[in-house]
Amino acid sequence: MNASHDAMLDDVAVYALGTMNAADAARVQEHLRTCAECRAEYEALAPSASAVGLSAEACANAETGAVTVSPLLKARLMREVRRDAASSPVVARGGSWGTYLVAAACLAVAVWTSFVNISLNHQLHGAQATLAATQTTIADLTSAHAQRFAVNGGEIVRVHGRIYLAMHDMPQPPRGKVYQAWTLPKGAKTMRPSLTFVPDAHGTALVALPVNAALTSAVAVSVEPAGGSKQPTSKPVLVEQLG
Amino acid sequence: MELDAEDLIARIRARDADAFEALYDAHHRLVYGVAMRMLGDAAAAEDVTQSVFLKVWSSPDLFRSGNFSAWIVRVTRNRALDVLRSRNSHPEVELPEALPESDALEDVAFANLDATAVRAALETLPPEQRAPIELGFFGGITHDEIARRTGIPLGTIKTRIRMGLRKLRATLEGAVTV
Repeated sequence: MNASHDAMLDDVAVYALGTMNAADAARVQEHLRTCAECRAEYEALAPSASAVGLSAEACANAETGAVTVSPLLKARLMREVRRDAASSPVVARGGSWGTYLVAAACLAVAVWTSFVNISLNHQLHGAQATLAATQTTIADLTSAHAQRFAVNGGEIVRVHGRIYLAMHDMPQPPRGKVYQAWTLPKGAKTMRPSLTFVPDAHGTALVALPVNAALTSAVAVSVEPAGGSKQPTSKPVLVEQLG
Repeated sequence: MELDAEDLIARIRARDADAFEALYDAHHRLVYGVAMRMLGDAAAAEDVTQSVFLKVWSSPDLFRSGNFSAWIVRVTRNRALDVLRSRNSHPEVELPEALPESDALEDVAFANLDATAVRAALETLPPEQRAPIELGFFGGITHDEIARRTGIPLGTIKTRIRMGLRKLRATLEGAVTV
C-alpha cells in the first residue's frame, strides 16, 4: 500500500460519513467502482457512519435535557394520512405505475385539502385568505415560543395571544352531544361559554378559541347537548389552569 | 424492531394508516432528533420530520430492505441539508453532498442499536476523533470546512475521521454481541 492509496482510504471514510463536497464525492465514487480494497473499507465504515445519526434520537426523559416532539405534529400527519388512506385505492404489492401515480395524486390533494381545512372554526371567503389564516395557525402551532399545556387526549397551546385546543386522542361524544370549550377570564369566578366541536373519526380536533390569551386564566371542556349550553351541564372532561 | 419496520412498510404500501402510525411512533424521535441537532430550530425540525414521514407514506418503496433506522436517518439528514442550503447566506461555504438514500450498506447487525448504546460508543472515542465525526455528520459542513475552522491540517482531519469510525464500529460490534 502506498501513501497515496492510504490517503484514498481516508477519503473513503470521509465519503462514508457524508461530509464531502459533490466533486470529491464523485471522485471517490468513481474510485470505489474499481478498487476492491477501498470498497471493503467503505462497506466496513458506512454502518458506523450511519450509526452516528442514531445518537441524536430525542427522548421523552427530561433528565437528559432532550426535547420532546409536539403531539400536534403527529395529529397533523395522521389527519393527512388517514384522509389519503380513505380516498386511495389499495395499492397491491407490485402495483402498476399508474396506480402509484393515482395514490401520489390523492396524497397531493389530501395535503392541499388539509391545508385549507386546518382552521376548523373559520369559514373564510377566498383561498388566499384561507391560506393566510392557515399559515398563521401552522406558525402558531409550530412556534418555539408556544406554551403547551398537556391535557388528557391532547394539549392546549398558548402563543402570540391566541389559544388553541389541540386534541389528538379524544373519544366521540354520545349521540346528540358535542364537546364545548369554556374559558375563564382573569379575575372572573365563572366560566364563559365558548365554541362547540366534535372530533373527527380519529379523535382529532383543532379549535382556535376566540379569546385573548393574555386575559384568560383557564380553559375547560365539557360534554353538552348539541348546540351548546350557557352553563356547563356536566362534569368537565378537562380543566387546565393557564396561569 | 427492524424486521417490524419492514413489515410496517409492506402494510404502508397497502395504504394502512395504522401501520404508518406505528412506524411514526417508533421512529419520530429519531427523525426529529437528527433534524433538531442539524438545524437547531424546533419549527424547522418539525417541518423536516413532517416532510420525511410524508415521503415514507407517499413513497414507501424508497426503502427496500435492511436497517430502517439507518435509512431514515440518511433521508432526514439529506432533507436537513436542503434546509441548510436554502438558509446558506455564505454560498462560498460549500455544503456536503447528500448521502445516497438507496444505498443498502447499513449493517443489519446494527439494526437493534439504540441511541444510548451509540452515545456510549461515541464517548469512548478520543475527543480529537469524536469531534470531527459529530461535526461532520450533524454540522452540515464539509471536512474541508472542519479543517478550516479548527486550524487542523486537512489530512489529519480525514485520518481522525477514519480512525474514529473504525473504533466506533469495533465498539458497536461489541455492544451488539452483548
